[in-house]
Amino acid sequence: MKCRNGFSKYITIAVLIFFYLPMVIMTINSFNNSRYGVEWSGFTLAWYKQLITDPKILYTLMNSLIIGISAMVTSMVIGTLAAFAIHHYKSRIQIFHQALIFTQLGVPDILMGMSLLLFFIAIHLRLGLITIYIAHVTFCISYVSMVVLGRLQNFDFKIIEAAKDLGADWYVITRRIFLPLISPGIIAGGLLAFTLSIDDFVITFFVTGPGSSTLPIYIYSMMKHGSPAVLNALSVLFLVVTFTLVYCSQRLIAPKKTR
Amino acid sequence: MKGMHNKKNLGEWLVTIPPLGWLFIFFMIPTIIAITIAFRPSSPYGDIEAGWTLENFIMLFSPTYITIIWRTIWISFISTIICLFFALPTGYYMARLSQKWRQIILLLIIVPFWTNFLIRIFAWKIILNPEGILQYILISLGIISKNTMMLYRTETVILVTVYTYLPFAILPIFAAAEKFNFKLLEAAQDLGASRWESFSRIFLPNISKGLKVATFMVMIPCLGSYIIPDLVGGTNSEMIGNLIATQAFIARNIPMAAAWATVLMAMILFPMGLVISTKLLSRKMAE
Amino acid sequence: MLKEMNDFLVFENISKQFGSNKVVNQVSFSISKGEVFSLIGPSGCGKTTLLRICAGLEEPDTGRLILNGVDITALPPNQRKVNTVFQNYALFPHMTVIENIAFGPKIAKWDKKKIVSEVDFFLDLIQLQEHKNKYPSQLSGGQRQRVAIARALINRPLILLLDEPLAALDLKLRQRMLVELDNIHDKIGTTFLFVTHDQGEAMSISDKIAVMNKGNIEQIGTPIEIYEAPKTSFVAAFIGDTNFFEGTVCELINNEISRIHLDGFPEITVYNDKSLRSGTKVYLSVRPEKINITRAYPAQDKPLTNILKGKVEDVIYLGSQTKFWIRVADYRLAINKQHTSFLLDEQPIKWQDDVWISWNPEHGYLLDTYAETDENLLTLPSE
Repeated sequence: MKCRNGFSKYITIAVLIFFYLPMVIMTINSFNNSRYGVEWSGFTLAWYKQLITDPKILYTLMNSLIIGISAMVTSMVIGTLAAFAIHHYKSRIQIFHQALIFTQLGVPDILMGMSLLLFFIAIHLRLGLITIYIAHVTFCISYVSMVVLGRLQNFDFKIIEAAKDLGADWYVITRRIFLPLISPGIIAGGLLAFTLSIDDFVITFFVTGPGSSTLPIYIYSMMKHGSPAVLNALSVLFLVVTFTLVYCSQRLIAPKKTR
Repeated sequence: MKGMHNKKNLGEWLVTIPPLGWLFIFFMIPTIIAITIAFRPSSPYGDIEAGWTLENFIMLFSPTYITIIWRTIWISFISTIICLFFALPTGYYMARLSQKWRQIILLLIIVPFWTNFLIRIFAWKIILNPEGILQYILISLGIISKNTMMLYRTETVILVTVYTYLPFAILPIFAAAEKFNFKLLEAAQDLGASRWESFSRIFLPNISKGLKVATFMVMIPCLGSYIIPDLVGGTNSEMIGNLIATQAFIARNIPMAAAWATVLMAMILFPMGLVISTKLLSRKMAE
Repeated sequence: MLKEMNDFLVFENISKQFGSNKVVNQVSFSISKGEVFSLIGPSGCGKTTLLRICAGLEEPDTGRLILNGVDITALPPNQRKVNTVFQNYALFPHMTVIENIAFGPKIAKWDKKKIVSEVDFFLDLIQLQEHKNKYPSQLSGGQRQRVAIARALINRPLILLLDEPLAALDLKLRQRMLVELDNIHDKIGTTFLFVTHDQGEAMSISDKIAVMNKGNIEQIGTPIEIYEAPKTSFVAAFIGDTNFFEGTVCELINNEISRIHLDGFPEITVYNDKSLRSGTKVYLSVRPEKINITRAYPAQDKPLTNILKGKVEDVIYLGSQTKFWIRVADYRLAINKQHTSFLLDEQPIKWQDDVWISWNPEHGYLLDTYAETDENLLTLPSE
């Protein structure tokens, strides 16, 4: 049977090459003396040096992290509540609740950015880190609640009954049964929220104010006006961080399974 | 009994109000505001004026704008088709791999999805650059001439769109295929179906949910695409997203931008609502 | 005192409705201390709901629940001295065997030393000492089952509720677990309330059985009473197989035995312990293993034995016994013959053979009620 999967195997390989070729070229170019990398003109670390000495990088990265972490924590709490409410209560208000979350997922970034901008102007809220934070929490809630909801749907509620039967009150059930079993879902949702927040350009672009640039906003301006070679170096750093994070999270999850 | 009922309601409100309130204030109200502004006249300086008008929507029907709406739709459509074409065999192949290899390939597909969106676009900008490596190779192979421009074309927009959203198509298809019982394919072939027949008549219907999710996951962000045509597209590959940004930031015509946003929202929510309501209806009929 | 022992757990007029569906209908019965009491019936008969009411996981619409003389109807589950072995065990997946078993005692804030020694005792009892640090996902079905039992029993409940505890196990394991359950009951002496749809399980382990149907209790009795003297057609059909006859009393032969007239079947004699008068319409059940089957005309050990001629329509050989379906007039009778001789030396009864069948009057049992709609009704005039 294995050998007869020829077509799908080649497509999969092609897809992986398609995914990674640009990244490989970028990595090579980040060490290349030539600006556009037509030919190899010698190994250099100049672009990395230039990158590290750019003060705006660190500043915008800090902004991104502040927003990313706070939006992650907030949306983890609110998104989990949403998932619990939708899963547990079957009232009409929850149908509306779920519809709202679904529509939010379906609305493109540019629309959210646009309408949030109009809203912030209407209520005279100064654009800045606060408005970016609000915008990010808004789109993260839906993602967190979807992930947690998936986990809840696989949750065996007989276990809650068993705990009650063995004398546990709601506090014990929440702390010792419910949260430990649901937490992988909440953490996964939180990680997704963090990535989405760190990654977001479009919505941030609409609701950002003076002095509150995030890293993607700065990358965008570098793409328009800066040196491509420095961006290469930055991309490679990004890739290294991503790979390490994904690898570590896999290692963290894996030993639990085999224990 | 009555008291207990109230207590239960209190619990529901306690967990419902934070998420519902947040989404209501920061998602629903802004959306409604955007829609109402679309019906406001604009002053030449871009201010929102009093009164109501359909002017902004009538403007949308000018030939240039119709072209852009049409282009947005077909770029999204083609990109989705290409994504599905590659995602289906990949998801199928991954589901048939051993547990170990499945994890590895899954990781390899998730990593690009985790890297920064702008950086992924930037990578292609470097590759397709007139001074870049691909141009150099293709010219030496005699496939293109020195004057061929690979960047800033509609094809480039489609290429980068596929690159960006392909993981979103692969993951739901893989998730559905993973649950598929591959013994069914053997059963179908045992009953005389060819490999293609068993694939199209057994495999596809059973992963239809994954296919639908994949289509939505690619189609919706495509329709609202703004950054990709902005960075790698030319003047002939503008999409609705670019119009919204131009109207909001350059022309400073907020009501016009809001009108475009409303049209885009209708384009997305209308088919989505249709799918969901038919699903609900058929479920009710079944009951 | 004796009364208290007999009425250890009392269900008093319990009713429960889900929407328009009456699941439990004015049920009253009581369970004695230390006994194994089974609730048995087809799915949807209300047995699980009764169990959940007892656990406190459902609230009855009407009625009271009295445990050891105390009304516990309104008590939440975590305050009842009642514990449950759930159908699919509902073990906590993120806790080891030890942690699962120690869960209840830890919540009740037992002394640490006592928890350790008690957990140890129960690990011995269920023979899982060497698996004590494993997670439920690493255990086999039977092992999970035993953890679930220990986790419930360690709290020293007044009543242990078992909700289809063996349903998820295969046949061999189920039989072994039954023996083990019985042993555990002998050692601990807790009162068991056992819910199952499997009559074999109930018969083998119970002191008393209540047969439920459509929210009502059809009969309560010892396994032997239920099997030998079913009150209703439902009980007769649900517990084991049986042959049904419908007829009228036509002659009172003596104080105990009456002759019954049937349509499409020869007249038969039956032990009439209900002193029914001539002309009364009756239903009776004759268990398949009570009927003898022979090639030759049988020796008559009692004067009023029913002896009839029939033709074999189907034969299923099962090793220890053979099942026959015999055509007698309009009826098709099921007969089980237990083998005590070496069959290879005999000429066994085959398909289409003419045979004699016989049973004594006391082997037929008169039913109180009969309902056509009951499932599994084996024999009645067909076609």
